[in-house]
Amino acid sequence: MLASISAATLTGAVGRPVSVEVHVSNGLPGFTIVGLPDAAVRESRDRVRAALLSSGLPWPLRRVTVNLAPSGVRKGGAGLDLAIAVGVLVATAQLPPDCTATLAFCGELGLNGSLRHVPGMIALADATAPLELVVPLCDAREAFLVRGDAAHGVSSLSELAQILRARGDWPAIPPAPPAPPPPEIPDLADVRGQPVGRHALEVAAAGRHHLLMVGPPGSGKTMLAERLPGLLPPLTPEESLTVTRVHSAAGCLLLDGVLVSHLPFRSPHHSASLVALVGGGSWSLRPGEISLATHGVLFLDEMGEFPLAALEALRQPLEEGVIRVSRAGGTVAFPAQFLLAAAMNPCPCGEGVFDGACRCTDADRARYTRRLSAPLLDRFDLVVPLARPDPDQLLADVPGEPTAVSAARVAAARARAAARDGAGAADPPLQTKAAALLATKLRQGVLTARGLHKVARVARTVADLVGAEQVDEEHISDALCLRAGRDVVTR
Amino acid sequence: MTAADGSGGLPEEAYAAALASVPQVGPATLRLLLATDSPSAAWSRSAFPGDVARIWQRHEEKGIEVCWHGGPGYPARLENDPDAPAVLFCLGDPAAVSTHPTVALVGTRSPTRYGIGVAAQFGADLAALGVSVVSGLALGIDGAAHEGATASGAPPIAVVAGGLDDPYPRRNARLWARVAEQGAVYSESPAGVRTEKWRFPVRNRLLAMLSDVVVVVESRHRGGALYTVEAAAARGIPVGAVPGSIRSPTSEGTNGLLADGCFPVCGVDDILTALALRGVLLPGAAAGAAGPGPGSGSGRGSGRDAAPGGGAEYAGPDRALLDLLSSDPVSLDHLARVTGMELPALCGGLERLARDGVARDIGGWWERT
Repeated sequence: MLASISAATLTGAVGRPVSVEVHVSNGLPGFTIVGLPDAAVRESRDRVRAALLSSGLPWPLRRVTVNLAPSGVRKGGAGLDLAIAVGVLVATAQLPPDCTATLAFCGELGLNGSLRHVPGMIALADATAPLELVVPLCDAREAFLVRGDAAHGVSSLSELAQILRARGDWPAIPPAPPAPPPPEIPDLADVRGQPVGRHALEVAAAGRHHLLMVGPPGSGKTMLAERLPGLLPPLTPEESLTVTRVHSAAGCLLLDGVLVSHLPFRSPHHSASLVALVGGGSWSLRPGEISLATHGVLFLDEMGEFPLAALEALRQPLEEGVIRVSRAGGTVAFPAQFLLAAAMNPCPCGEGVFDGACRCTDADRARYTRRLSAPLLDRFDLVVPLARPDPDQLLADVPGEPTAVSAARVAAARARAAARDGAGAADPPLQTKAAALLATKLRQGVLTARGLHKVARVARTVADLVGAEQVDEEHISDALCLRAGRDVVTR
Repeated sequence: MTAADGSGGLPEEAYAAALASVPQVGPATLRLLLATDSPSAAWSRSAFPGDVARIWQRHEEKGIEVCWHGGPGYPARLENDPDAPAVLFCLGDPAAVSTHPTVALVGTRSPTRYGIGVAAQFGADLAALGVSVVSGLALGIDGAAHEGATASGAPPIAVVAGGLDDPYPRRNARLWARVAEQGAVYSESPAGVRTEKWRFPVRNRLLAMLSDVVVVVESRHRGGALYTVEAAAARGIPVGAVPGSIRSPTSEGTNGLLADGCFPVCGVDDILTALALRGVLLPGAAAGAAGPGPGSGSGRGSGRDAAPGGGAEYAGPDRALLDLLSSDPVSLDHLARVTGMELPALCGGLERLARDGVARDIGGWWERT
């Protein structure tokens, strides 16, 4: 007798569908598993046999062969236990052969026949679509997040056998545990002064413009960047699901079975490798920091200290919003739609090239700014020079404008932009003076064609922020001032 | 090119370049070799190993002109100098250095905004007045001076240390090309020679030789620009220095020069006076036709805050903004705080002032020009 059961296994962080074929025939009693099983899968022989016997189900004293197809993919983990057990039951006619046609199974078996937790349930659930999925009850909540009513949870093998035989109802999925409190986002009220930095944050948040802040140590770059998530709108349900999926794949969910509802803010250290940043690993294709930051903010502090290769690798995902990681184990696409905020000093010593206090040699400076290739620099719509705040402002006991006020402006600007996009109307033309200013800058060689486009886009966002219908000269000027930092990093 | 040599059909220039390319031959040996003989004769007499044709091809490909002391095209103003380079390489028009009076603008590679602003302004104003600006195409002051000088006017002159086939520093490659196009880039090094340390003082000496007046804009204590000053002083070329803050390390060198008796440069007029004292007359200067362009403020004292009343055509917020700006650059943050203006309005006002040439920004800091 032959049975074929659908299941899934993890390759790193990505689920792959697996078909578990069980063949029971006359011959010397034995149990073999073929199809590149790893140690945990080979050991499932003993778990499955014990679980069946503990559940009061007979074990066939015949020759049992299990094949895991496709045979070329390495299979790991104990998640295939349940599928093998169900396969044996079907192959020995203890279950009707058609009852498993629309079902897939993932779960680890205990020797007493109970079902145990399997890691990476969201990825496994994704891999088994569109089949209905049967998982341990403790994992049902996580599977439910991505599969909804197509996910079923059972607590033991005997319970499952009964349901399948009698075509009974599936047990109810336990309610979600209470969501953990979102991580605290620091408030802009803590920032003294910095009108330009604050304005740049608002523009970045309102128009999703990538932001590079250039300034000496102590000019508040990190402080500002940490407050950027507070200005962005909360995640939509779909975004929330994408974020949860990526976090589950990376194994860093805060709480199993709970959607990630806060905006991701990732700030990898500058010693991060290329793989840590974009994702990868030889067998375990894990998402990198840029994917974990999807729909949120990726903050690269001390951008000039990151490995050159890691920075260049950002270019393609910045353009496409997706990163494709290819390894011997396969190719995976992870989402990478993040808002990039970066901070760097004007030069290695940090003092900048204009104050005469810089102690760097030409070679030092060249090495530092070489990190930032022209194509990468072009990805930043905003390159903002920051200065240290005035001492009297720093010491004054006047709190800055709180995040809530700023966020309201950003939300209004985004609503305006969305209404315009939604109406399908072409952007209102630039005011004559604004167009003239852009033309002058183009002729002077201050702007390239690409730069022109970027400035116009940023100016549109600025106009939305102040509630103007048409982009005028002042908005263009503002956009130009918000990229003045390019002079500092390319000099 | 001049008369071809019988042996390989190569011009004399090829042998001059080949002699300069021999690693064992320094500037002094080269001068000795070429003192009596023509380049081809010196080459065959000295029997150095080397492929003349290949060396020549490398220069020809890049359009590098070669001239030697006593040969055609050699700048007249170098001819009587005892240290004049025996072989000179040039990108651009070799005659550019002889057509206009020349002023060297030199200084530190890590200047302040003040230094960059002054160098750029002097560069632009001198070029507009018909004075060739000579500089070393280094980062900092040198680059800023040429950025200003290549806008229009008299041909810019650059003197570099390494071979002319490889722009150094790379970041100035575009400026380098612009100077070569509008004027000339000179070097004592043949193509293929990397920029070694010892070549910089040599370059600075040649730079001084080519200049009628040397002006140091900003220099640290014992900065490289002081080699140029030494070479100029030894030749009786007037040296001026731009005074700076006593607290600024980049003005230690220049303030020291002033203490040593160099003439203070507080505006382009001071440089013009020094030129006139050397008997150099500006073409058309008497008629005032070649006067500085609008808003360039070349007069003495223009480096200081403009007198009240300047920019009278502005009113309202722009007027207030202009009053806030001085030659001391301030950050946009500071302006936003002091004026309390919204950033779009503030940037708009500054951009209008910049368009009229009365204000400018350097890396996000704003100053009055």
